[in-house]
Amino acid sequence: MDIDIRHIAKLSRLKIEDSELAGYEKEMSDIIAMVEAMPDISDELTVDPENAMKLRPDIIGETKITRDEILKNAPKIVAGCVVVPKTVD
Amino acid sequence: MKLYEYSACELSEMLRAKKISSRELTESVLDRAGEVDKKVNAYLRTDREMSLRMADRADKLIASGEAKSRLAGIPVGIKDNISTKGIATTCASRMLENYVPVFNATVIEKLESAGCVISGKLNLDEFAMGSSTENSYFVTTKNPYDLSCVPGGSSGGSAAAVACGEAVVALGSDTGGSIRQPASLCGVVGLKPTYGSVSRYGLVAFASSLDQIGPFGCTVKDVALLQDEIQGHDKMDATSADRKYASLLDNLNDNISGLKIGIPSEYFGEGIKPEVADAVMKSVKELEKRGAKVVPVSLPSTGYALSAYYIIACAEASSNLARFDGVKYGYHAQNCDGLIDMYEKTRSEGFGREVKRRIMLGTFVLSSGYFDAYYKKAKLLQKRIQQEFADAFNSVDAIITPTSPSEAFKIGERTSDPLAMYAADICTVTVNIAGLPGVSVPCGYSEIGLPYGMQIIGRKFDEQTILNLAYAHENAFGGFRRPEL
Repeated sequence: MDIDIRHIAKLSRLKIEDSELAGYEKEMSDIIAMVEAMPDISDELTVDPENAMKLRPDIIGETKITRDEILKNAPKIVAGCVVVPKTVD
Repeated sequence: MKLYEYSACELSEMLRAKKISSRELTESVLDRAGEVDKKVNAYLRTDREMSLRMADRADKLIASGEAKSRLAGIPVGIKDNISTKGIATTCASRMLENYVPVFNATVIEKLESAGCVISGKLNLDEFAMGSSTENSYFVTTKNPYDLSCVPGGSSGGSAAAVACGEAVVALGSDTGGSIRQPASLCGVVGLKPTYGSVSRYGLVAFASSLDQIGPFGCTVKDVALLQDEIQGHDKMDATSADRKYASLLDNLNDNISGLKIGIPSEYFGEGIKPEVADAVMKSVKELEKRGAKVVPVSLPSTGYALSAYYIIACAEASSNLARFDGVKYGYHAQNCDGLIDMYEKTRSEGFGREVKRRIMLGTFVLSSGYFDAYYKKAKLLQKRIQQEFADAFNSVDAIITPTSPSEAFKIGERTSDPLAMYAADICTVTVNIAGLPGVSVPCGYSEIGLPYGMQIIGRKFDEQTILNLAYAHENAFGGFRRPEL
C-alpha cells in the first residue's frame, strides 16, 4: 500500500525532511503489510464489564501545587501566562 | 560480601535488626554504580546527596520504630518515565530533557511513605518505545553479561541496574513486554502486574490501556516485596481496580503440587530459537518433578497479536503524545513562523525517529477511511485473544512460554529493521493485550553465558500463583547469577 507520509506527518504535526521520506515510506509500508494479515472477525466491540472505569466527581480537589511551580516548566511565560505565537492578526 | 550483593529481603532484615544502616547500604549501592555504570550506562542520573538524605530519614524511622514497611531503607531505582517531584523525568527524550515534575507518581508517594531511598533515574527507550534501550536520546544501556549486547527494553536501565547491583530493586513499566523482556535478557526477575493493580498516575503515558508499572529484583521474593508496596487502588487513576490486595510475600509458597501448567504450542515454534524453547521446557520438567501437571493448551490467535498490539499501542500513543506541543512544558523550537510551524518544529526536533514513526502509524490507523480496516480489526482481535486466554484458564492455573524468542542480541543489529526489533516482543504482547499478569524468571544461559528467560502468565489478579511457581522454579533451578564486570 502507498502511504502518503507527508499527509500523515501533517496530521501528526510533524515535519519530515525530504531526505527522510523514503525511509519512513519503506518502514511504514512494511509494518502495514504485516498488520494487513489480521483476520476479519464478525463481532462487535463491547465495554469490558470487569474493567468499567469509574469517573471521579467533577469537583475541584485540593492541591498543594502552586501556579508558579507549574509555570516553571513552561518554555516562555509573561505575567503568569504561557506564551504562544500570535494566532490572530 | 558487599552490601549491594544481598537481596532486598535479606537487607530488610539486616536493617530492622540494626546490623546495618540505610546510609551504609545506599553508599554501597551508589559506590557500585560509580564503579560499573561507566560501562553499563543504566542510570540517566543519580543524586548522592538526595539519596543519602532519604537514607538518613529511613535510619531515623527504623531507629524510632516508626518504619512500618519492610522496604524502609532499601534503595530503589526508578525508570525515568515515572514522575518524581523535583527530580528531572525525561522519558529519555530530548522533548523532556529539562522537565522537572511538580508532583510524584502514586508509586513514588508509596515508596517515600514506606521510607525507601531513590537511588536514581534509569534509562529507557524514548517514551518506553523500543525493545533494546537503543532509542534513548541520551545513551544506550549495555547488557551486563556482554557489553556488546543490548539489555532489552524498554526498561533496559532498570533490568541492567538490578543485575549489576547498582540498585537493590527497581521499578519499570510494561506496555508490550518492557519489564519482562529486559528482565529475561539481563537474567533477573521482572513482574508485569495485572492491568489496574498498580496506579498509573504519574507514569508518562505511552498506551494507556496497556501500560503497567511493575517491579524488578534479583529474586522472586524481592519482586513480591516491591509489588506488595506499590499495588492497590488509587482514586487518581480511573482504571485502577478497587479490590483487596493480599501480601504476595507473606503468601509466597513453593508447594506447587497439583497446579496445572498450560503449554501453548504457538509459543514454541517458528520464530523461537530452539535453545530458548529447550531451556524453558527443561524448567517445566523441573516444575513437573515438584508436582505440577503439564497440560497442552491452544492460543490460536497468537500469530496476529503483534499486529493488533502495534495498532492499538500506536493509536493510543499518537493521541497521548499530542500533548507535547512546546507550549506548557518540554522542548520548544526556536525561530518559528507562527503556531503551526512551532508545533511541527518542536515535535520534529524533540522526538526521536522511533517515536515519530509510531505517532504517524497511530495517526494513520485512526485516520478517516482506515479506522475500521485497522483499529477496529485490532480491537476485535484483542477481544478474541482475551477470550482464548480465558478459555485456557478454565483448564489450567498458569501458562508458561519463553519470555523472549532469543537471548540478548548485538547493539545495532536491529536498529534499521523495525519488524526485526518488534519481533523481540512476540511472546509478551499478548499478556498486555489480555490485561493479565506475567513474570519473567531466569531459566538458563547460552553457550557464551547470556541469560534465557521463562514467562509465567496467570489469571487476572492472580499474581500469587505465578509468583509461587516462579519461587518453586528458583528454589529448584538456582535463579539469578550476578554477572562479572
